[in-house]
Amino acid sequence: MVKAIPYLIRGLAGAPGTFLKWFQERWTKMELFDEGRTQQARTNPWYTLGGMWYWVWMLVILSGVVLMVYYVPVTDQAYHSIERIQHNWRWGPLPIGSLVRGLHKYGADAFIILATLRVYRMWFTGEYKQGNEFTFIIALLLLIIGMYSGLTGYLLIWNQRALWATKVMATFPTYLDQNPGWLPGGDFINWTNQGKTTAQILLGGTSIGPATVTRFYAFHFMLSFIPMIFFELRVYRRGFKRMNISHWAKLAVFGVILAIAIMIPAAQGSPANPEVTPNPILSDWYFLAMYHFLKLQDPYLATVLTVAIPFLVLGSMFLDRRPEREWGKRQIFNWIGIGGLIYFIVFSFLILNGIADLHRDAPLWYFSMGGFLLAGYLQDWAYVMRRDQKRWWETFHIFFVAFILVSMSANTLYHYFGDIREWNVLGQAEMPKVLARLQQANPLATPDMAFEWLEKNRPALNLWFTSKKGPGKPPGMELWLVHVVAWLGIIASGIVIGLGRWGRRKEAEEQAALAKAKPRAAGA
Amino acid sequence: MKENQRRIFLKAITSIPILGGAVMAASALIRYFKPTTVGGVKGLVAPPDEAGSSVQIVAALSELTQPWDFKEFIYIRKSVEYSSRKIQGAKIPGFVVRLPDEFTDPKDPKSRFVVVQRICPHLGCTFNFVKSPEELSGGYNYKPPMPTHPYFACPCHLSVYDPTRKTEVNLQGPLPGKVVSGPAPRPPRTMSFDIKDGQILITGTEGGGVG
Ligand code: HEM
Ligand code: FES
Repeated sequence: MVKAIPYLIRGLAGAPGTFLKWFQERWTKMELFDEGRTQQARTNPWYTLGGMWYWVWMLVILSGVVLMVYYVPVTDQAYHSIERIQHNWRWGPLPIGSLVRGLHKYGADAFIILATLRVYRMWFTGEYKQGNEFTFIIALLLLIIGMYSGLTGYLLIWNQRALWATKVMATFPTYLDQNPGWLPGGDFINWTNQGKTTAQILLGGTSIGPATVTRFYAFHFMLSFIPMIFFELRVYRRGFKRMNISHWAKLAVFGVILAIAIMIPAAQGSPANPEVTPNPILSDWYFLAMYHFLKLQDPYLATVLTVAIPFLVLGSMFLDRRPEREWGKRQIFNWIGIGGLIYFIVFSFLILNGIADLHRDAPLWYFSMGGFLLAGYLQDWAYVMRRDQKRWWETFHIFFVAFILVSMSANTLYHYFGDIREWNVLGQAEMPKVLARLQQANPLATPDMAFEWLEKNRPALNLWFTSKKGPGKPPGMELWLVHVVAWLGIIASGIVIGLGRWGRRKEAEEQAALAKAKPRAAGA
Repeated sequence: MKENQRRIFLKAITSIPILGGAVMAASALIRYFKPTTVGGVKGLVAPPDEAGSSVQIVAALSELTQPWDFKEFIYIRKSVEYSSRKIQGAKIPGFVVRLPDEFTDPKDPKSRFVVVQRICPHLGCTFNFVKSPEELSGGYNYKPPMPTHPYFACPCHLSVYDPTRKTEVNLQGPLPGKVVSGPAPRPPRTMSFDIKDGQILITGTEGGGVG
């Protein structure tokens, strides 16, 4: 630890320069649509994903521009203008409007699928290593841009599903103003009202209405065109080929999307009605799993986690420091990727079929997620032991395991014992007994007083709220405290030990360099 | 310090005014998207816009004579809109529910009614007034204690609110509609109301949330 300090100070002084150099290196290496993989694309179809995705993007933009001419972005006309595009716009027997709409909608779906596959390819093959981080970041960003385009485009048809999906999405950011008071800076963030301001900027006011449609229309257009301008600038400066796929492949992609558009005309639903919520409310398929996730969570936690997921992905990318890129040598990352896919499919299935038991499911999900991570860790551990010819305790990463175990058990405890609503259900069963006991002392006792007693004596095992200590309250475990202290402790000891090791390594490196330089100096 | 390192460092220094310019542009952009924002530092922390209110009659007492009688209504709220119109009438669905006498204060005629916005404080769906316990346990994942009474229940993520019980909400005192199941963080947003000439008048709505 102490040895690390001089290195740290020197490193910090040179940080801006180092960072700039780091940035420039990655900026030069950054790829937009797999343009550097033309050779691999000839033999391995996974590397054509970039080109195909770019081609689909072009199709979506083209069909979008065609639709723009006939689409009316006004709340009381939008739905009917889509109806007219769908049914009245024909050339003889050819339903042009329906085809263009289908091309746009299924093209958008293809965009999301291809962008997702591309992110997965990079994830599983560790393509972000050796200075290719930016390529991965851009790929992920484009997936997110695609999802937001879908969200904003979806509202344009102004049907029931779109309206309610948008409402859910717009209510989301308001939770960013509800940070718990014990979070450092939480009250400050709440005071700035950033979450509500974000929601109001998105909606163009305090409720969903005409201004929302205008704004979403503008955002929908911008989300494609602004990245496109930057991309074209880069293509212009570097002069590379945009799509590494043959014309036949392009034709095939177009044909498939067109065939789907002919076979399944784009759906339209029923016109938006703010007074009736459809049951169940759904959204475009790529948001379904997230909707299920929302059901199981405290909404604040769910919002923070949803916002955090892309950052977690990026964070774990930067944590993956080992040079290995082969499948069997980075099992944690494989398990995270596979787990993500499985949860996506299972959660989508569950919400489509309306299956959820709020009081039972959440901890099960936590445990299975932790299980995925542990399985990945154990395999990885076995690999590292073999690679370095070490015994198990020499390669045991206590921090990672502790991290998973602490959060798994804390979440389970929280859900089983601390959930305030769970307690209410239990409490209501207990109520008659409590009431009888209270009435022995005071014949005028009411059910309300019994509830109050129960509330006061609930075990204080809750992540967010712990009531003040009252008389007769059983000693509870302040769960959030345990959680926060344990995690901070794990992180702090990780930093201390890591810095110590780093200092020792730097010293060894410096001495090795010195030893190498000496003979030469002596020779001169 | 090596020569090229110094050059890089100087480059980094010159980026500071550029960053400053970017921050100013961002502030202009925020005001472009949210024209009600005031300038300066204050604008960054200004309270969000709140919808205006007006007095509207929504129900007659004669419609709500029996315990658990209820009425759905629509209240038109003057929503702020960032357009040349500046204001928009947003439809806010609401419920007024007549509570049985055992839950009310005989001295306060207003305590007989629970008036809430039907917008779920979780993520904004329109919730329902559910009378049958079978529907509650089958459709909303909540098994009410017996003997039972109706509940507010939201189809989206299955939040259930008990109209007879109250929860303390920051700065607002106890509000009816305690959450008994599901992910909602607080009771439904309220509407302030008055009783006059045998009619229930809505005088205003609690802000926040998305109408
Ligand atoms: C990443 C790119 C894009 C995605 C993912 C996307 C996605 C969508 C989606 C999902 C819809 C709803 C379609 C439906 O359900 O019927 C839609 C509608 C629409 N989009 Fe896009 N879009 C993209 C780019 C564009 C562009 C660049 C434009 C304009 C130049 C555009 C113009 C429109 C129009 C006018 C509509 C309304 C017509 C309709 O719904 O059929 N879109 N978009
Ligand atoms: S919106 Fe009502 S429970 Fe989520």
